[in-house]
Amino acid sequence: MSKRQLAMVMDLNKCIGCQTCTVACKTQWTNRNGREYMYWNNVETYPGTGYPKNWMELGGGFDAAGDLQEGIIPNLEADYGVPWDYNYDALQGGASFEPNIEPTWGPNWDEDEGAGMFPQDNYFFYLPRICNHCTNPGCLSACPRDAIFKREEDGVVLVDLDRCQGYRYCIAGCPYKKIYFNPKISKSEKCILCFPRVEQGLPPACAQQCVGRIRFVGFLDDENSQVHKLVHKYKVAIGLRPDYGTQPNVYYIPPTESPAKFDAEGKIIEGSTRLPIEELEKLFGDDVHHAIKTLKAEMKKRKETGESELMDLLIAYQHSDMFRLDNHYYQQVAHEKGRHALAPVDTRYIAGKYTETAHKMNFFHGGHGEAGGHH
Amino acid sequence: MKKIASTLLVAGTLASTALMADGAITAVKVNTNLDKVSYNSGVWKDAKFSSVTLYPQTTIKFNDKKANEKNAEPKAITAEIAAVYNGQRIAFMIKWPDGTKNVQYAGRTDSYADGFAVQFASNYSNPKELPYIGMGSEGRQVVIHLQKETVKIYEPNGNGDVWHQVNPNQTHLFGKDLAAFNKEVASIGNGDYERSYVGEGFRSMTEIKDGSNNSYSRIGYTGNGWSGTLSRDMKDAYVDLHADAIPVAFAIWDGENMGRNGLKYLTGWTSVELKKGSELTKALSGVVGGDIEAGKQAVAENCASCHQITPADAPSLMGPSLTNIGGYASADYIRESMMKPSAVVVPGYNRNAHSAYAWYNLEDGKRVSTMPDFSWLEAAQMDNIVAYLKTLKAEVK
Repeated sequence: MSKRQLAMVMDLNKCIGCQTCTVACKTQWTNRNGREYMYWNNVETYPGTGYPKNWMELGGGFDAAGDLQEGIIPNLEADYGVPWDYNYDALQGGASFEPNIEPTWGPNWDEDEGAGMFPQDNYFFYLPRICNHCTNPGCLSACPRDAIFKREEDGVVLVDLDRCQGYRYCIAGCPYKKIYFNPKISKSEKCILCFPRVEQGLPPACAQQCVGRIRFVGFLDDENSQVHKLVHKYKVAIGLRPDYGTQPNVYYIPPTESPAKFDAEGKIIEGSTRLPIEELEKLFGDDVHHAIKTLKAEMKKRKETGESELMDLLIAYQHSDMFRLDNHYYQQVAHEKGRHALAPVDTRYIAGKYTETAHKMNFFHGGHGEAGGHH
Repeated sequence: MKKIASTLLVAGTLASTALMADGAITAVKVNTNLDKVSYNSGVWKDAKFSSVTLYPQTTIKFNDKKANEKNAEPKAITAEIAAVYNGQRIAFMIKWPDGTKNVQYAGRTDSYADGFAVQFASNYSNPKELPYIGMGSEGRQVVIHLQKETVKIYEPNGNGDVWHQVNPNQTHLFGKDLAAFNKEVASIGNGDYERSYVGEGFRSMTEIKDGSNNSYSRIGYTGNGWSGTLSRDMKDAYVDLHADAIPVAFAIWDGENMGRNGLKYLTGWTSVELKKGSELTKALSGVVGGDIEAGKQAVAENCASCHQITPADAPSLMGPSLTNIGGYASADYIRESMMKPSAVVVPGYNRNAHSAYAWYNLEDGKRVSTMPDFSWLEAAQMDNIVAYLKTLKAEVK
């Protein structure tokens, strides 16, 4: 159990599936050294096969008694997809446009297919996924080498590559299949919640680059953070598949709005909704009802009165409100652990629970006296 | 009366199976240089090979569903093992049958390597209190040498080298310079997976990276099986092998059945005799007296509620499975475990994996086994239990 927990909230009503987060992550971390096939961040179409293929059926996680469940390790060719490239350089010489290998499977192979019949009742939504940095991680519990640890200071789950021996039990243990085997170095690797960025006052790359501004980042115990408000105050953000028992720390605002269905003549069926509640129950458990009720009520309130803290919050006006990092806290941790404290490279987002007490830290502001934060 | 006689007869036959424990391996003194010995070295012509059985590790079960299905009914494997020494160095060769050659590839996530390991006890002065066979135990350190068949592996940040981990497309290099960069990167990979570790129990295993172990290991596939060799100094910072006999344990992995880590086959502590007729050999392969049938009954009464005894019994998370205990645990170890359950505590599962079934509790930083002390058992009954548990092992393939 970590002392504090850094968390992310993703608003699924706003995700447009543009994959900017995916690209931000890939260029930052996974475009090299055996990580090419990995997507620490991916956006999949739900309902769909997901990435890796049918990950929800591959086991892992815990049963009600708290026992780790057996899992299946996905296969590179069949389940993740071997990354391919095209012969751009040869095109000038008159060659035809060819992939370097015959693609047979890859992430988003079934993008935008969804379920239902067009145009009567077809539907889908996008589900962006990163490592959930669980409070009770399946990967950590599966490791026979104690190579996976949860950082005490912020709950980020990391692999100690020195201890990791490449056994891959962690992949079987993670019900989200968000830890990957790097065959080139024979070790497991995963999303690191961009901790080197976070420690320097920058939100994770996926969150900062998100054009839909769907991702909020902050500490769960920081009552002024938007993640705290969404998860604990309004209880509209819920972990994915809470039934897996890992207590995930990436939370989702469930999709509340979907168009009405059409009848055989193409006329709107009043009061109908395309998105079956059963699907949302499967993903988010029974809490999803309360979340949807609150969201709808606040939406109505906003329409009628123009006031709603929750709606304002979800509109996500300012990055500096959405991301609330805690630089002073990280400086303190570094000091206590005898580590080299990292100087912040960006002060706009550092206004966490403990940073607020350090107003005299003038990073870039040159006497302005305010250490970041939009107030 | 007739019934009693037949029971005794059955017990007698079973007892004689228990007697046929693997004997010692004779280390042959040679005058050759043993610095870099491989399976092709001429020195093995003078060596004396002994048959040693390796039993499937079934003490704990892992969470890989496919691997568990593949290893559902594991059989034991018999290997031929020899040892030679010259006073400064000692070398081992292990030959084992394996119908498939499995290499761990750099472009696949589902390939597992065939390989082997040789384990030494740092302190073996008391043969009745050797380290736990699975990577040692608290306060009883072991040294393990591992070799497996891999293609080139690129260690992350080897020597703090970040430059060579950059995506070639993100360097400022073009043409010839880029080709040279890629060549440099390729040269960093290491195809020899030889590793040495020290361990004091599961999960404590730590790689020796400072070069303080002077060992050399090779592995090669020949037709229908593997030959692996290890040569090492007889004395280093971790172990001193100058003795009449030394306890050595061997393990092999079968990549075809997704073997890695605990999904392996292992011997018990085996006496490698530099001189004939040692106390160690007697302790490790000596006769186990006791009535096996009575032992079976006693085990059912005292042990079966927490331990899985035979593969037919339901697996239990309460304690280590005993289905192959007779294959890889010595009689002394079994006895010690019953008399002093906390002397050697097998850490077992990652404690988060089965939080309701802690095999031990930490008291003042010491592991205290949750197993009750069985030292109240009568000596004869204890012998019966040991005799029975020594019969618990898989058949040979």
